[in-house]
Amino acid sequence: MKLIIFAGTPGSGKTSIIKYVIDELRNKFKICFVKFDCLKTADDEYISKKYKVKSIKKLAQDLCPDHFTALEIPKIIKENQDKDIIILETAGLCLRCSPYVKEGLGINVIDVAAGSPERYGPILTQADIVAVSKGDLISQAEREIFRANILKVNSKAKVIEVNGLTGEGALDIAECIKSSSELGNKKLTLKQPMPSAVCGYCYGNKILDEESSRKRFLAGKEIKNLIPNLNCGKCGFKSCNEFIRAVLDKRAKKEQCPFIKK
Amino acid sequence: MKNYKVNNLKEIKKITIFPGLNKLGQKEKFEKIEINKGEVVAIVGLTGAGKSQLLYDIEKLAQKDTKSKRKVLVNDKIPNRELRFNPEKKLIASLSQGMNFLTDISVKDFLKLHIQARGKKFKIQIIKEIINEANEISGEPISPEMNLLNLSGGQSRALMVADIANISISPIILIDEIENAGIYKEKAIEALIKEGKIVLIVTHDPSLALNATKRLIIKNGGVDKVLETTLKEKGIASYLSWIEDYNLDIREKIRKGERINEVYLFCEPIKSKRES
Repeated sequence: MKLIIFAGTPGSGKTSIIKYVIDELRNKFKICFVKFDCLKTADDEYISKKYKVKSIKKLAQDLCPDHFTALEIPKIIKENQDKDIIILETAGLCLRCSPYVKEGLGINVIDVAAGSPERYGPILTQADIVAVSKGDLISQAEREIFRANILKVNSKAKVIEVNGLTGEGALDIAECIKSSSELGNKKLTLKQPMPSAVCGYCYGNKILDEESSRKRFLAGKEIKNLIPNLNCGKCGFKSCNEFIRAVLDKRAKKEQCPFIKK
Repeated sequence: MKNYKVNNLKEIKKITIFPGLNKLGQKEKFEKIEINKGEVVAIVGLTGAGKSQLLYDIEKLAQKDTKSKRKVLVNDKIPNRELRFNPEKKLIASLSQGMNFLTDISVKDFLKLHIQARGKKFKIQIIKEIINEANEISGEPISPEMNLLNLSGGQSRALMVADIANISISPIILIDEIENAGIYKEKAIEALIKEGKIVLIVTHDPSLALNATKRLIIKNGGVDKVLETTLKEKGIASYLSWIEDYNLDIREKIRKGERINEVYLFCEPIKSKRES
């Protein structure tokens, strides 16, 4: 099984290009399309109707959508063992998150008019493929400069120009998907730890597994009970949460907090 | 036939297209289409006829693996995977009516950025040459210090043409409907073929279509006809170009505040560089 994660800001053209990619692959592979969004989406229904592939809708609602994605991935994989390729589209709100998985393929869809690639975080820098959309709106020269700027922040990326209207680039992405590696049976790991929120992943857990996440959360909670949550910065970290993560990662010692209950 | 290794895009001298199937599942009506370096090919047809698919097949050097089942050879040989799927080796550079400059920067610095992005050495002389060429195409002078965003539609288009001709390494240039751009079209095309590019023009503009070496008529998702341009059509094209260029000259005079007192009714035939 392969896990393909499409991330990108809203309106960058993720869904449009995914449609063409699914169309290229659906005759040879069993595909499951998973659409993550915050509040509402109908893309899953559209895709399953038009391309006759299984689709799942996941709404994050009050949770951070990327943390939610990380929590859901193991379940999705467990429930779809009969599929060859899982194509997952994130809600794409945060440039800092982007839950790419090391064992899978991460694709960032980026709008060519969205500004300097240097502003983007892991969503761009950790991607295996950068799909540049809407190139038909700007000059050839600017497209070439944009590509060079992407390679400056992510030199390993394959930069592919895509067009959600004509399907340009879908064949290239489909080729990359075909030659990407299988997940195997090992636990999946995030390419990049996520920013803090309210679960085990907030305390820096990277293993996509409910149990590991819960353990990490409890370990984090234990430390949290010992410290005053002042975010005073005296330990050398910006916030108590960062400090807890560092302690759990063994990058810092509990005693660095001057207020810790003994 | 062995796979052909082309590492330098400049080595591409010729592409050959073999027929696939149209939307009705019928074989396209041609044996093969050969396009050589320096050639201009017009692609015409109604909206939705299948022009984009043809361009896509050329761009991807299709090997019966796209929807149309067309096959494309490079220099009479099957291209290797590297050339087909390495995004660094982009075969087609494109220019269309809808493209705009979006970067807030001077013309000079912009060209410098582009030259550096292409990994070439920056020389002030190249920038001067590109701007001179752009000025010939637009007729409305651009200076190196002007801001990219302040250029008129014609100036922008002219600069894009000169830039593609001189800096982009793609061997094939696709021009998509630039009829109303306010530039000397003939000069624009000449700038591109002078650099040994293959020029594909999607157009319904009579002077552009009749100026091409051949035109492909697209219908129902397939090439319906391939028409080599006749000598008569070339003559008509040069007459039409003359009218358009004359129109553009008057336009520039109006812009400069001059009076228009007379109209030349007879034109001198334009000598095409391609024929001589």
